[in-house]
Amino acid sequence: MKKYFYTDGTNNFGPFTLEELKEKNITRETKVLYQELGDWKKAGDVPELNELFKLVPPPPPSQTSEPGYTNFQNQTIKPKPPKTWLVESILVTLFCCLPLGIAGIVNASKVESLHNSGDFEGSKNASQKAQKWTTTGFWIGLVIGVIYLIAVMAGAAGGF
Amino acid sequence: MGFNNVIKWVIVVLFITTLVFIFWRFDPNDKKFFPTCPFYYLTGYRCIGCGSQRAIHSLLNLNLHEAIKDNLLVVISIPYLISGFVFDSIKQPSMKILKWRKILFGTKAIIIILIILLSFWVLRNLPILQHFI
Repeated sequence: MKKYFYTDGTNNFGPFTLEELKEKNITRETKVLYQELGDWKKAGDVPELNELFKLVPPPPPSQTSEPGYTNFQNQTIKPKPPKTWLVESILVTLFCCLPLGIAGIVNASKVESLHNSGDFEGSKNASQKAQKWTTTGFWIGLVIGVIYLIAVMAGAAGGF
Repeated sequence: MGFNNVIKWVIVVLFITTLVFIFWRFDPNDKKFFPTCPFYYLTGYRCIGCGSQRAIHSLLNLNLHEAIKDNLLVVISIPYLISGFVFDSIKQPSMKILKWRKILFGTKAIIIILIILLSFWVLRNLPILQHFI
C-alpha cells in the first residue's frame, strides 16, 4: 500500500493511505510526497490523486488565489507561520551577544507580518535571517565561554 | 527517534545539566570563573544582559529578591520564554493556539518586546533608577 505525506509548508503530515488522504481536504496546490515520487509535488500534478479533486473544479485562471490558504466548507485554515526564533533571540540578547540577539528579534518581528500579507517567501527569508543571527550568537557565546573556562582552569593549575 | 537524534539530545541534556550545576554551585560575583560583559568592561554602563548570570545563580538558589536586583528582565522573561518554547514545539496547532501564538508572539508583541528591551537598557543606567532595576 502506497503511503502519502503532505505539507503545509512548515509541517509535514503523514503517512496516509490514499483513503485517509481523501479526508484531509487537500487541494491541487497542496504539496504531496510518496516514496517513489522523490520530491514534493503539487497534488494536482500527480495523476493518481486526480480523483481527490473530482468534486472541485480547477480554479479559473483569472482568479488570484491566495497561496497557502485552503478553503473548505467556508472554513479558512491558515498554515502556521515559519519559526520566528524569538525565544532564542531573547536568550542570546540576555545571556550573550546583545547586537546579534537584537538583530534576531528585528527579523523575528517581520516573519509573521510578511506571512500574513501572503509573502511566504519573504517570511521564510526573515525566519532564516533570524536563525542565522541567533545561532551565530549562540556559537560565539559557547566558544567564548569554553575559552574562558579553559583559561581560568589553566590559571588555577598555574597556581594563581 | 534515530540514533543521531538520541546522541544530540544526550549532549544537549548533559550541557544544560552542567550549566545548571555550575550556576547553582558557584557565585558569578567571584569574577575569576565567569566572563564579564565586554560592554560594561569598556563603557562602565550596564547592558540588557548584565547581571543575567548572577540572576540565574540567585534563582537556582531560590533567592528571588536577589535575582530581581541582579536582572529584573531575566526573571520576568523566564515564564514567557518557556511558553514560547512550548508554542514552537506544537506541531499541528489548532486555531485557538494560533490565535494565542499571534497575541503573545506576533509582530505587535515582538515590537513591544524590542521597546521593553531598549527602555530597560536606558533606564537601568539612569543614576536615579540604578538601584531599582
